[in-house]
Amino acid sequence: MKLMQFGDSSCARIRRYLDSYINNELLVETNHEVLRHLETCPACAADVETRTRIKARLKSAVQNQSVPEDLQARLRAALREESRGSFAWTRWASAAAAVLVVAAGLWFELPRWTRPALPDLADRRGQDVFIQKVSASLSAVLKVGLGDHIHCSIFRKYPKNPPSVDEMAQKLGPVYQDLVPLVKARVPAEFRIILAHQCGYQGRRFVHLTLTNGSSLLSLVITRKQPGESMQSLTVSDHASGVAVYQAAAPNYDVAGFETDQFLAYVVSDLGARQNLQIAYALAPSVHRFLAAVRS
Amino acid sequence: MKRQEFEDTALPHLNDLYRTATRLLADSTKADDVVQDVYLQAWKSFDRFEVGTNCRAWLYKILFHMVHHHRRKWFNSRMVKESEEILDQVAASPEPMPEHLTDEEILGALDRVPQDFRAVVLLVDVEEFSYKESSGILNVPIGTVMSRLSRGRKLLREQLEKTAQSYGIGKGKLEGRTA
Repeated sequence: MKLMQFGDSSCARIRRYLDSYINNELLVETNHEVLRHLETCPACAADVETRTRIKARLKSAVQNQSVPEDLQARLRAALREESRGSFAWTRWASAAAAVLVVAAGLWFELPRWTRPALPDLADRRGQDVFIQKVSASLSAVLKVGLGDHIHCSIFRKYPKNPPSVDEMAQKLGPVYQDLVPLVKARVPAEFRIILAHQCGYQGRRFVHLTLTNGSSLLSLVITRKQPGESMQSLTVSDHASGVAVYQAAAPNYDVAGFETDQFLAYVVSDLGARQNLQIAYALAPSVHRFLAAVRS
Repeated sequence: MKRQEFEDTALPHLNDLYRTATRLLADSTKADDVVQDVYLQAWKSFDRFEVGTNCRAWLYKILFHMVHHHRRKWFNSRMVKESEEILDQVAASPEPMPEHLTDEEILGALDRVPQDFRAVVLLVDVEEFSYKESSGILNVPIGTVMSRLSRGRKLLREQLEKTAQSYGIGKGKLEGRTA
């Protein structure tokens, strides 16, 4: 049996065991030795108390960290996409998309008077044919959102400089102008709003916000429901704070949708299924609340 | 359905993994990305997971692999390692008064502990993995886990002490101490 030591050297030696003592990892003999020392040394006993408290406080501090509410939903969506595998895009669709990206880039960059005409796609009939082909695989209720995105965000003649927030608010009108700050606050920081207005396509009116991160275009498209229209027959991708979100893929685009009693809302982009759905999840709860408060 | 089985098995550990990743990376946005990558990787490897074995430890092993991968990508550097001599110098530090510190201050002190040591403290003291499980997760010998844990705890105490003192807490409290 080891002799008990008192004084600084004894304390220094005992303190090397304290963490193991707290975790019940010492052999019986050593444990007894530490216990006997603690009975006669208030300083080391206080050290044990402090170390025990640190361990408990550390654990609670780490476990008190908040976890994003939508993390699990986003993860489930990503897993669903992963298990679904890559999309079977056709070669023609990829080629058409490439043409569009180049054309849209030129359209955006060049002054209005030098903008080249887009062969086949610049005229209304060419646009309609293209939209029909791209959205062919979608259900009718999702085609509505994709159609306006392509018609307005892809083919539209943007002003060279994005309008100011005040101009956007004016074009959206008093009922919808608060969508600009609402959307801006919920999309990733690299996205900026380049267009916000009310527009029309195929006889319907839309509230339409277009955003870009410099390489991709994303639309929030909102329209009033027509009789019998609903997304409820579609398969729900997941719920974002109780709002059912639906998503489907078209060649080069992903369309996520959600609805209120009166409105259909869509997030459409060429970002890929995962990021498009993540942005839809981020927007759906607040946009849903906003639209539910709009009076008919 | 296999994906349902995966989600039922793996998703209950999501919050723990996210919190650990946040502390390892000291960045919640990067933690979000890493945790998603962990689950996607785990899903791809789920065929090789033996049902009934420790899913939580398996996910943590993937997490540490991902963190290592991402840190090299983001910081273009290897994990910080400190020499034993430096660590031994700080090992004699006195203890802090944690009751006066907020969660944020405690986490800030933890973030200042070099990652190799912080990782073991998180695994053993927070997540309550055994030395053997931590050894498997980190792919290091059990002896290394134990020595890193001891030094990690001491470094954390020192950082907490510094934090406490910066707020004027705990100065002079060691009077009469013997170590």
